Amino acid sequence: MPDNKGTFREVLPKQGMLYQEDIPTTVLCKPKLMALKSVTLEKLEKMQKNAQETVKQQELMQQMDQGSLMGPPQSGLPEF
Amino acid sequence: MLMDDNTIAQIARPGTSLKLPGTGQGAPSAGVRPTTQGGRPLSGFARPGTQGRPGTMEQALRTPRTAHTARPVTSASGRFVRLGTASMLSNPDGPFINLPRLNFTKYAQRQTLAKALFEYIFHHENDVRNALELASLATEACQFKDWWWKVQLGKCYYRLGLYREAEQQFKSALKHQDMVDIYLYLCKVYTRIDQPLTAVEIYKQALEKFPGETAVLTGIARIYEGLNDLPNATKFYKEVLHYDNTHVEAIACIATNYFYSDQPEIALKFYRRLLQMGVYNTELFNNLGLCCFYAQQYDMTLNCFERSLNLSTDDSASSDCWYNIGHVALGIGDMNLAYQSFRLAITFNNDHAEAYNNLGVLELRKGHMEQARAFFQSAQMLAPHTYEPFYNFAALSDQVGDLQSSFNNAKKSVTNYAEHCDSQELFKQLRKHFSIL
Repeated sequence: MPDNKGTFREVLPKQGMLYQEDIPTTVLCKPKLMALKSVTLEKLEKMQKNAQETVKQQELMQQMDQGSLMGPPQSGLPEF
Repeated sequence: MLMDDNTIAQIARPGTSLKLPGTGQGAPSAGVRPTTQGGRPLSGFARPGTQGRPGTMEQALRTPRTAHTARPVTSASGRFVRLGTASMLSNPDGPFINLPRLNFTKYAQRQTLAKALFEYIFHHENDVRNALELASLATEACQFKDWWWKVQLGKCYYRLGLYREAEQQFKSALKHQDMVDIYLYLCKVYTRIDQPLTAVEIYKQALEKFPGETAVLTGIARIYEGLNDLPNATKFYKEVLHYDNTHVEAIACIATNYFYSDQPEIALKFYRRLLQMGVYNTELFNNLGLCCFYAQQYDMTLNCFERSLNLSTDDSASSDCWYNIGHVALGIGDMNLAYQSFRLAITFNNDHAEAYNNLGVLELRKGHMEQARAFFQSAQMLAPHTYEPFYNFAALSDQVGDLQSSFNNAKKSVTNYAEHCDSQELFKQLRKHFSIL
């Protein structure tokens, strides 16, 4: 901007008091890159998940068996 | 205990112990790169052995209980609970092999059978004691000449926590046979008894025998990463890539390092390389999204996050993803989206300390002091190793005139991250104030 060279000038006060106030700001936690999982880890997690599900199913089966041993609920009992 | 073999000096010299992470010369500070509970920078890669390992008993007790387990993950339980999954399942016809009724002496004589039997007991049944018995009988049966049994003995001792015995077995096995595996196990023992420098030395010996072995190079890099010596870690990861340019761990760690040292565009290149190689999961897309955003490629950012959310299968991953979306929203100045994203992060994972802290900051900007205070306090409880919630709480308390709690929190903030200028300033100011009184 060669035309405006003379018209605008920055003003730097050479005299007087200079105030400087440091306003403390709050800090945000930083963005988090997620750690990639190793193949071994993924495999282990899968294995564990499968095993847990199988255990759950086994328990369910056991409960079903126990339920059927006790027979159907009797009609004479009062209902809650 | 007097004259205990396993006891070493109580306080390690700086840079020689994994428990006292080094000064991190040349690495991004804790103000930029998030740290783990042990004060080490977050790694770019999750491995089975290195997830969350509270260093001391005190830390383990302080560890918040996560939504996944009721107990804190200790170094002892973290890995081995997982490995025994097969033994958890009960078979309707009884176990395949009834271990207590086996005559180990008989089977130890038959070498070929013994090896298979050992692997079954050790890996499938997860019964280390019986495996150890079989291994010691078998190594006797072959006059202590078979390196394989020595390695198995070492593995058993390692699992039982008898590290010096394990070390002896591995060393003795190395005399018979030079194997990469044995070196790796030996270094694992040294890492476990907190002698990282010895481990590095052993790794380097292994490198002389097996030059360019990526498993060994990765081991060295991991140890340097654990010691918070990131320039060295990156150097070794780069060397790994020199020999194997599809090594996911090395690429991921280098990328993370670049991202946190203010070069997201280079990190983006590395993550794109992973995408090319066929890694296709929620973590990668999340990282790609973040890198795109900070490398000013705004057109791809939200797409990446969308994909990351679609691919996510567990809640903690979704939570982290929403947390990062919150950062993107903050970056573009959409406070509502940011607020909602952090809220979602908490909905998916109730223990997300960083999200609590950021919510606190947002609440404070709205002028809701009480809510902000509550959020900071939750963040402090969940992540006592960070400095942000402590500093924020201190600044807030200072504003409302609660100088005592401001002082306490500023102190904690300074302990957690000594180089934070604002915390130091506040702490100094308050200390001066109190000393005048």
